[in-house]
Amino acid sequence: MRKAITPTSAKVSQYGINPKFLTKRMAEYPEMTSIMVKELFPDAPDVIYPSEEADGLELVRNATVEALKTVDMSMIKPNHSVNVLASHHGFTLLGGQPYAEFLKIVRDEIEKRTGTSDIRLRAGNGLRFRETEEYIKQYGLDVHFKGKAKCIAPIDEGIPIQTQIGTLYGLKAVYDADWIIHAHNSDVREVHFHRHVDRAVKPFGMSYARIETRSTYHQNLGPRGANFTARSIFESEFVKSKFAFTAFLNMAPGGVVGVLAANDLYKLNDHLTYIGLKYYGKIMTLLGTIDECIVGLDFPCPVPYVFAAGVIYANMVGANVDLFDLDGDLPPYTWYTEAFYGKNGKPLINEIAPVNPAIKMVVHNYAWGGYPSAFFSEQIPTVIVKREQAELFDNDPQNLQYSKYAVVSESLDEVMQFAYKTTGTDKVLIFDGAIGGLNISHSLLKLLQEKAPIVSQMVDEKLMPKWLKQRGISHLLHETARNAAI
Amino acid sequence: MKLISLKPVVNVDKCIGCGICSKVCPAATISIKDKKACVNEEFCRGCAACEQRCPAYAIIMTKLEKPYVVEVPVEDVPYDKIAVLCKNAHMHPEQIICFCTATRAEEVAAAILKGAKTPEEISRQTGIRMGCKVECIQPILRLLKAAGITPERPDGYQWYGLTPTLWDISEEIKEKYKTSGFYFNEDIKILNKIVEAKGSKGE
Repeated sequence: MRKAITPTSAKVSQYGINPKFLTKRMAEYPEMTSIMVKELFPDAPDVIYPSEEADGLELVRNATVEALKTVDMSMIKPNHSVNVLASHHGFTLLGGQPYAEFLKIVRDEIEKRTGTSDIRLRAGNGLRFRETEEYIKQYGLDVHFKGKAKCIAPIDEGIPIQTQIGTLYGLKAVYDADWIIHAHNSDVREVHFHRHVDRAVKPFGMSYARIETRSTYHQNLGPRGANFTARSIFESEFVKSKFAFTAFLNMAPGGVVGVLAANDLYKLNDHLTYIGLKYYGKIMTLLGTIDECIVGLDFPCPVPYVFAAGVIYANMVGANVDLFDLDGDLPPYTWYTEAFYGKNGKPLINEIAPVNPAIKMVVHNYAWGGYPSAFFSEQIPTVIVKREQAELFDNDPQNLQYSKYAVVSESLDEVMQFAYKTTGTDKVLIFDGAIGGLNISHSLLKLLQEKAPIVSQMVDEKLMPKWLKQRGISHLLHETARNAAI
Repeated sequence: MKLISLKPVVNVDKCIGCGICSKVCPAATISIKDKKACVNEEFCRGCAACEQRCPAYAIIMTKLEKPYVVEVPVEDVPYDKIAVLCKNAHMHPEQIICFCTATRAEEVAAAILKGAKTPEEISRQTGIRMGCKVECIQPILRLLKAAGITPERPDGYQWYGLTPTLWDISEEIKEKYKTSGFYFNEDIKILNKIVEAKGSKGE
């Protein structure tokens, strides 16, 4: 049996506990093993990071240079200013270095190709307003961007943007240059929110946007129409007049596949929609076949964003339904769904599916605050390891209720024994950012190995055609992915 | 309803008087006096927006010695009026509109019906917008609009304005994007069903 993969290290952050309190990781137990994504799904794409043969980061740098050769930068003149737009989530992928290196190369190539040196980094955030400030320092981006790296937050000064559906609001600092470069990553991440419709465009309605726009996304436009917020902003004359090109760190559950770049975001959008379904559809469907398990949260991110094989915990919470299927309206977890639980703790309408009943208990060994997470502990039995971690949540304005629905223990050993005894299952799935695969218990390994070939066939033959048809890109099924894009 | 358990403390030696804290405060409780930030603790609801955006790191959040709860009791207002106001804003009264504080539409409606006229007043009275500070501004503005109130914008970045809803999407746009994965009519159908749903007591 393969040993467990080394989990992603704890990070020093104001949003998490001091790493000294994280004395044991769940992957350390002898009952844990691991499996690589490629072993589950042999048709999973090859990755350049991590790499056993070469320096993976160097491969990322080279891939970025090569991809940028395909874009036209002639609109950027030597006296022009350029904002490279980044988002916080990219720094949570595979330790964060690949995205940071990608951003550095984007900057350097712009300078080399256009002659301008007025190139700024504008790093957007979610609900932790200093998160990218931490990453900018950690990865030396302030130095690399010559002091022109800025952490931006959705409550910062805004500007109105006239769109086809009415006025929305962007962040002033995003658009205060002659040109903008959309430098993002393609992991599918919050499928419960964007439903994998216009995934590539999403930051225009999120990390580059003001609170009014983000609130529009999550409260005004509906569970499947939400991401139209982003499309509306991107299609505005104002944004189109500033958009120069886009570059994406192309992700799969196993790691970085490469880098893609284009002047036409929509062409790339269709391609990324296609490969997002292809790369992530199988692993997400496989997680939905788990009949029962204990879930471990053990990663430096807020509760819903902890990773296992490139999939976030929030997607496991909804894995009892097909999140990619647009015939389904309300996923088991999304903010629209959370909103529709009445005062008696039950959904207001019968159609709302419960959160994934396969999750029998959550062991919260390490996860950050800074995202409203009480819904998770209210719906699923949760044990928080260490009082310091519970106190972190108790002092987080977004999580004042989180620990009220959970119990706290000082010992991970005792928590695990408690979880095994009270749930009656020995299947464990750990969201700890194990790169390239999953850290799981031996018992769960057996189940996943049995189910993977069945899932693979079902996704290829039934689900992919449906998912693509729902998004109006069925034609891509019959074309090679790269050719279809650029 | 929200438990208020934190308050900001300004280090006047570090404060540069830039005023950003006052511009981002959702309860509009910070002013600049003698080039220093000054917090009106009576109305502060402990959201930490000031601490998170202070460029000089001059603000820290500390625990209140005596935490307290802010709430507008729904019982103070005839429930049928609350229900009508929520329905006019396309909301169910029991719908949660702030995911951090679990504030429901009915409490904000009650605050408005009792006289609150701005998002800042509503935040002070109910504690809504005192978690992430991001996601719940539109439901507040929608409820104010449904009550016929056009709030005056504060002198900062607290909020800029009302934005479109699903019910504002034109037929032309629906038609144009119906094969691109946007299920506007289907989403309207499910959200309308929520609005019409019975409450938790079966009413």
